[in-house]
Amino acid sequence: MTRVKKYLSLVRGSILEGLVFRTSLIVSIIGNLLYLIIIYFLWKAIFDSSPTDVVNGMTFYDTMIYLVLASAMFQFMDTFVVWAIGRDYQSGQIVEYLVKPMDYQAYIFFAGIGNSIVAFFITFLPTFIIIYFVTHGSIVLGMNLVFFAISLICSIVVNFCVDFFVGTICLYTQSIWGVNIMKEIVVGLLSGATVPLAFFPEKFRMVVDFLPFQAIYHSPLRILTDQKMTGADYADVLGMQLLWIVVTLLISKLFWKKSVRKMMVNGG
Amino acid sequence: MEKEKNGFAFYAHIYKKILIQDLKSKMSYRADFIISTIGMLFTNVAGFITFWLIFQNFPQISGWTYHEMLFLYGFSMLALTPVQCFFDNNWNLSRAIHSGDFIKYCFRPINLFFYYMSEVFDIKGLGQFAFGIGTLAYSWNKLGLPLSFRNIAGLIIGVLSASLFMIALMNFASALHFWIVGATSVMILIFKFKDYARYPITIFNKFFQFVFSFIIPIGFMTYYPSLFILHQERISILTYLTPVFGIVFVYLSYLFWMKGARQYSGTGS
Amino acid sequence: MEPIIQMSHIDKTFKVLKRREGIKGSILDLFSREHTLLQAVNDVSLDIMPGEMVGYLGPNGAGKSTTIKMMTGVLEPTKGDILVNGRVPYENRTKNAQDIGVVFGQRTQLWWALPVIESFKILKDIYRIPDRVYKDNLEYYDELVGAGQLYHKAVREMSLGQRTLCDILAAFLHNPKVVFMDEPTIGLDVSMKSKIRTLVSNLNQSKGTTVILTTHDMGDVDALCKRIVIIDKGTVIYDNEIEHLRKYFGAYRTVKFKFKANRKDTKGMVAHEADEIRALLAYKFPEAETLQVTQEEQWVQLLINEEEARMMDVIHSVMEQKEIVDMNLQEISTEKVIQKIYEGGVL
Repeated sequence: MTRVKKYLSLVRGSILEGLVFRTSLIVSIIGNLLYLIIIYFLWKAIFDSSPTDVVNGMTFYDTMIYLVLASAMFQFMDTFVVWAIGRDYQSGQIVEYLVKPMDYQAYIFFAGIGNSIVAFFITFLPTFIIIYFVTHGSIVLGMNLVFFAISLICSIVVNFCVDFFVGTICLYTQSIWGVNIMKEIVVGLLSGATVPLAFFPEKFRMVVDFLPFQAIYHSPLRILTDQKMTGADYADVLGMQLLWIVVTLLISKLFWKKSVRKMMVNGG
Repeated sequence: MEKEKNGFAFYAHIYKKILIQDLKSKMSYRADFIISTIGMLFTNVAGFITFWLIFQNFPQISGWTYHEMLFLYGFSMLALTPVQCFFDNNWNLSRAIHSGDFIKYCFRPINLFFYYMSEVFDIKGLGQFAFGIGTLAYSWNKLGLPLSFRNIAGLIIGVLSASLFMIALMNFASALHFWIVGATSVMILIFKFKDYARYPITIFNKFFQFVFSFIIPIGFMTYYPSLFILHQERISILTYLTPVFGIVFVYLSYLFWMKGARQYSGTGS
Repeated sequence: MEPIIQMSHIDKTFKVLKRREGIKGSILDLFSREHTLLQAVNDVSLDIMPGEMVGYLGPNGAGKSTTIKMMTGVLEPTKGDILVNGRVPYENRTKNAQDIGVVFGQRTQLWWALPVIESFKILKDIYRIPDRVYKDNLEYYDELVGAGQLYHKAVREMSLGQRTLCDILAAFLHNPKVVFMDEPTIGLDVSMKSKIRTLVSNLNQSKGTTVILTTHDMGDVDALCKRIVIIDKGTVIYDNEIEHLRKYFGAYRTVKFKFKANRKDTKGMVAHEADEIRALLAYKFPEAETLQVTQEEQWVQLLINEEEARMMDVIHSVMEQKEIVDMNLQEISTEKVIQKIYEGGVL
């Protein structure tokens, strides 16, 4: 019980922290709004120029919902895990955490989750409601919302594991900025966060399907936008996500263990 | 030599000196330097792939062909090189202020803004420059634009004037640090404008065309100046006003930054 | 001789934003702002002669750094006249900067990743130091503190002491007429402190540089300055020779001991030890009437007046009786002296 309690207090702390920075919050809302406007007009122009209303199985509204929610998701996916690990390592503070009776990976996860919760209620939920009305109910509200919620939680975990893996790389490179930007770009592109995977050419798509990144943005967003999904499809998507959770969790844990041992031997 | 006044030659000389030292510093953290450079290369490649992904589904966007859009993209990359290369130290201002280290800039016998900005030259911007040149040359060739003096001069002046807008915006945003906490989020917001600059402003409706010209000057970062070469028949008065607006805007941002610096150095201990 | 720094009846008032509490308060702040006035410096008059070394003391927030910022041209006084090198500093910040040097004990002004000599080269250009002067200074520095062996070391690889040393050398590189030093010996060990003090004293004498020194360490002032200016709550409360103050700090020394514990350490144990030491010293030094023995957490602390009993003798007696695990000799802080000035009624 105390074990749960200490993680809960971590979460509480980071929620408060997330609320304190009101300037950042207002600015990020304005930023999202601007982004919304830009992609709205851009994709509207794109679809207007297209001879058909449906491109690669997606309508203009589908695409909008997909992209806007992807950017709203980004707000709570980005918990600066790579920076946290990199800084802990460079400042030498990491040793203090290692001697604490806490799993470092769990510590980082729960320290960031509060921010995610704040971001969910402050950016994701309002965005979702706005987009629901703006697209005149193109989002179907039904069982798929339940699947979406489950899928979203899976996304957070996979995303965290990828982040943690990349953060561990910082133990070798002394470069946080460089490592982090590469991760952001790879994840952003290959997860379908910037361009929906439906628009990818066949061969490219095949490669992406074998990578964990599509389990981060593409899976939950597909559940929300694809209205032709059957029960088997849901099972398929969620099953894949679970598989990726197991794989990324295992790999990131192993890599971390190995790296820490190496660090202990070489002395930071 | 020593009698030289605070003229351009003196500042150019100092800039070169500090720049070389900065590069030496960066080389001394070699791994970081290499990885950051690769990371920057990644951003450029990824931007390009995104662009390509969209266009291989759609041959044109509201009258703009693939190569024309590519031209705008290349132009915007060039126009964003100066802010990346020469004004990157804006990003460190928050740390300099909160640690109190900023005060050390106030005691040198040279211009404060100049001295602060000269401290960092971001070499990563050069990769972007190369990318921009390549993209521009490719689309220039495909579009069959004449390689005339008019066009070359127009390109150079256009890129330089367009670059001033992002520089000014970043100065304004970073100067907010002198007054408020959390200004970094404003910088991040404004820095994203660079990604929006590459689209022709005509895709927006009338209202947002106005907003993105006169309130948030995204249109000046690529669209208006590039018309001079790309679509001569569409050149607007704003194309010719780009350099003027740019200079005024940068100057105002400079004044704002200096005002912030002065009032900060007075209060912060 | 004309004073190099002249300040007459200087006032500096800051407008401070009154922030309201809570979310509602910060929204209100966006629309209407209330300011309060804060008088940081109040009617300060000061003349400093060329070549003088002045200790400029005061508690935190007393107005020290505000005064210095006005002298360096970073800040404009609200009222009063100020002249440095015959110029009004805030009207000619860059010109004024040419003739001054600044040292901060905690933060370096050198390029972190580079060998010191590279920083010096940049400074040479920024301050337009003639080749001749530059070369002479480097040689002189080497002669003075053996700086030559540090020139090619990167600043980030230096110890704090070496870094401070180089920062001081850098501040004197362009032969400024005035150098401002803020806590130059903070965080340094005893031998490094004395090295720095010797260096500053030599530079002051050989170059005739005026030095304004702010510090919390009375040892710095004692070693370097003849004159002391003390500022508190924005007003100068003392401006005179250090000699008059010596009785407030000269003879007192504080020393702390930690003894080997016989059993598991407890608070009571330390208190017991303090009692033992008190009894011992009362017996050994009956004439030391002001000698104090107190308990400071895990430490036993002694305040010794050297006119009554020599510190070394006291330490010796303690050592004979008890096994010392750790010992700490404390600097006399300027705050203590100022407090004593108030108590002693010098003013």
